[in-house]
Amino acid sequence: MVKKLEFKSYKDMPIRAMTLSTMMWNLTGSWRNVRPYYDFKTSPCIAGCPTSENIQKYIYLVTEKRYEEAWSTIIESNPMPAITGRVCFHPCMSKCTRKDYDEPVNINAIERSLGDMGLDNPGWMTKVKGTESQKVAVVGSGPAGLSCAFYLARAGFTVTLFEMEKALGGVLRWGIPEYRLTNEVLDRVISSMLEAGPIEVKTGVEVGKEISLEELEKDFDAVFLGTGLTKSRSLGMDGEEGDGIEAGLSFLKKVNGGEKVDPGKRVVVIGGGNTAMDVARCAIRSGSEVTVVYRRTINEMPAIEEEIEEAEREGVKFHFLAAPLEIKRNGDSLTSVVFQKMELGKPDESGRRRPVAVEGETFEMEVDRMFSAIGEQADLEGIDGMLDCEWNLIKADQKMGQCSREKFYAGGDVVTGAASVVEAIAAGRKAAEKMIRGFRGQSEPEEIEDRIVGIDDMNIDYFTKVKQNRVPRIPSEEIKGTFREIKTGYTDELLEKEAERCFSCGVCNYCDNCWVFCPDVAIHRRENEYEIDLDYCKGCLICVEECPRNALSTREEGK
Amino acid sequence: MKKVIMGNHSVSHGVMASEVKVISAYPITPQTHIVELLSEMCGNGDIDAKFIKVESEHSAMAACVGASAAGSRAFTATSSQGLLLMHEMLHWAVGARLPIVLANVNRAVGPPWSIWTDQNDSLSQRDVGWLQIYCESNQETQDTIPQAFKIAEELQMPVMIVLDAFFLSHTYEIVDIITKEEVRKFLPEYKPEIKIDTKDPHSFGNLGGPDVYMELRYMIQEAMEKGIDVIKRVDKEFEEVFGRGYGLIQPYRCDDAETILVTSGTVSSTTRAVIDQMRDEGIKIGSLKIRVFRPFPFEEVFEVLSKAKKVAVIDRNISFGNGGIFYQEIKSALYGRTDIPIVGYIAGLGGRDITPSVIREIADKAIGDDKPERYINWIGVKK
Repeated sequence: MVKKLEFKSYKDMPIRAMTLSTMMWNLTGSWRNVRPYYDFKTSPCIAGCPTSENIQKYIYLVTEKRYEEAWSTIIESNPMPAITGRVCFHPCMSKCTRKDYDEPVNINAIERSLGDMGLDNPGWMTKVKGTESQKVAVVGSGPAGLSCAFYLARAGFTVTLFEMEKALGGVLRWGIPEYRLTNEVLDRVISSMLEAGPIEVKTGVEVGKEISLEELEKDFDAVFLGTGLTKSRSLGMDGEEGDGIEAGLSFLKKVNGGEKVDPGKRVVVIGGGNTAMDVARCAIRSGSEVTVVYRRTINEMPAIEEEIEEAEREGVKFHFLAAPLEIKRNGDSLTSVVFQKMELGKPDESGRRRPVAVEGETFEMEVDRMFSAIGEQADLEGIDGMLDCEWNLIKADQKMGQCSREKFYAGGDVVTGAASVVEAIAAGRKAAEKMIRGFRGQSEPEEIEDRIVGIDDMNIDYFTKVKQNRVPRIPSEEIKGTFREIKTGYTDELLEKEAERCFSCGVCNYCDNCWVFCPDVAIHRRENEYEIDLDYCKGCLICVEECPRNALSTREEGK
Repeated sequence: MKKVIMGNHSVSHGVMASEVKVISAYPITPQTHIVELLSEMCGNGDIDAKFIKVESEHSAMAACVGASAAGSRAFTATSSQGLLLMHEMLHWAVGARLPIVLANVNRAVGPPWSIWTDQNDSLSQRDVGWLQIYCESNQETQDTIPQAFKIAEELQMPVMIVLDAFFLSHTYEIVDIITKEEVRKFLPEYKPEIKIDTKDPHSFGNLGGPDVYMELRYMIQEAMEKGIDVIKRVDKEFEEVFGRGYGLIQPYRCDDAETILVTSGTVSSTTRAVIDQMRDEGIKIGSLKIRVFRPFPFEEVFEVLSKAKKVAVIDRNISFGNGGIFYQEIKSALYGRTDIPIVGYIAGLGGRDITPSVIREIADKAIGDDKPERYINWIGVKK
């Protein structure tokens, strides 16, 4: 404490009611009974991402125009943002806090922009040499296999990647049409991944037939199976084998392979999944009139909502609650299909209501071509018997991909059944990480439960409603006869504007609110962090209250 | 540049030209246009100021207190109930010696709820320690804002400028609009010697014992007294740049006047028209507009009124249990001159119009009544 001043005249006094000396001696922190502290939580988008991309962080880095760091942040958990940025069903966005406020942040479009930047800047990808002794065989070069190979190679392990087709990519190549993901982008992504580390590619080799799993088990320290779903499920109808009727998958393969196809004038597609949407949209691009017939309603369709919307926008017609009953032909050529009308009954094991035939109610549709897209199956030849399988899928630990034999791991659709690219990427990465821990004798990491921040945890007063920035696209009228990419991606300006919309839920993004509001000037701004000066913090908790994003928490003193 | 604008917007233009740094306000009729235009000016970059939205007038003044204490030129505008809600913070601005400028649009206080003019809102803040300047025209209103900042910053005292609701706030007149560039020649940048500085922490507004409190109050009174000369000088400096000056008071045809009507605000213009009419009739009458109410210009008022035979004060306000508030001030200014009868007239409360015929009625009463029975007279009350 300082000495008390005695004024002889008012002229010696300041006109303001104030102390003449500093007040730094007064350590008001002793008044505090509750202490604030920076405590970052989990943004809901991150929790919603199957491969746990650090979305909050990379969007923040975009707002700072630190693009390389943003890209690297994605690569930590997803090696192919240019692909997921185009085809992901983005569950992150359906968890985005802004969804409960105005519209979710278009994370998917931001990811694509960063992915494309990565392709344009090959120097961003660090190149790793084989430093480790262990060798891993990865079977299948779809998203699961590519992801697994990438993370192993990046850690210095030598990978041999087997693919039965001539070109790499699996479902990314033959299952996803050009207008959603061009072969050019796919080729660039794959080559960038292959350059990142010691990966040897063997295409045109069918594991299980040409090379057995036993051989792989002998030659490699571990084997990852990401063989996907390669066989179309058949309709099980008479005459299915004849002219005019084709599996959707084989049609897609031809289209994606650049083959000229003429699907005919009147096309019907059976099924409600993503393959059905892809087939329908490819056919409409070839000039056909397309009707999708699905045995349940739009609410039960397993396809990505956006795909359904796009298909509708492009002119695909939908006929719900109907299933093919009879195929009619004139000689060899298909003339029409008779459909059975259906209605929804009790929920089945998937929780969706089971379609039941409405007795005697049928209708006939004249068609030139019919595509079946009612699901795909795994080809387990050479696998079943060696590894435990169930429901025609490989039985593996859903988190780490461990199979019933020690050296074997599996992930992606061959384990889960029809799922998504991002889930396959996650499975590939997690299996790679599990193998690496095994090779290095590291223990399993402790599982920390996410503390997910929701809109009620936020101080929403600090935000203003701003509509999502739409991704520029070619007009629907122009899609006929072209397979060019519909979405052209964000411009730099739109990217920046969209990134600015992110609330950064639960994680500090250096908005300075705490620093500005602290009435005791007890918060100091440091390089990329704030520090609470507990000598002066009175514990008023204004910083906690005014943090827009719940990046601070409180703790009672002495407890 | 001359433009036809409303009184409220005259205030906004004065604030813009004064390059205010912080504006904090809460909307209230009939003031709202002032801050509406200011918020637009902030929004489109005409003025480089921080506009702080608040949830009450109390907070508006608190924000100005903070901004001013941190060394920024701060402004707010309010009216009636809003000013009353600010009361505590008005004291704070004075005690902390902060040169804030406030524009108050005179509006009657409820109940009954009223939006129309009278002076009871600002005059009930008489003893808080704010300088008060009552304006009569849109031009004067605009010009008084930069004057007020200069006076306030020199004295380290807050200044309230006051204008009548509707009769001025909503009335359009030709105004020669002043610009920042012109005002810079008159009003220097605000650079206070003392301000809140996080690098040199002091305690402000802290406990002051009986050994210092009186001295601090003494200094406020000293600043008020010094204010008379400062206001006069600042007005002259303004006139040098802009060719317009307003003085502490404005006597009109008083030199040989036997009767003088004392007015304030817009009533002053109406009164001058009546004076001219009566002068044409050969009646020796004049008027005196009180522009600066705090500090009260005792000497200047005495100088004018001591030559008259009779003084009539028109008050658009009432101090219940006493009488018109200007009336009391005039009486104390003429203390000792028992030979001059001073009569008070209460008129125009709650926005009732004070027309030329009302003023004529007051003048005739004042002249005709040599020994008035009542010194507080209500004009136009339905009895």
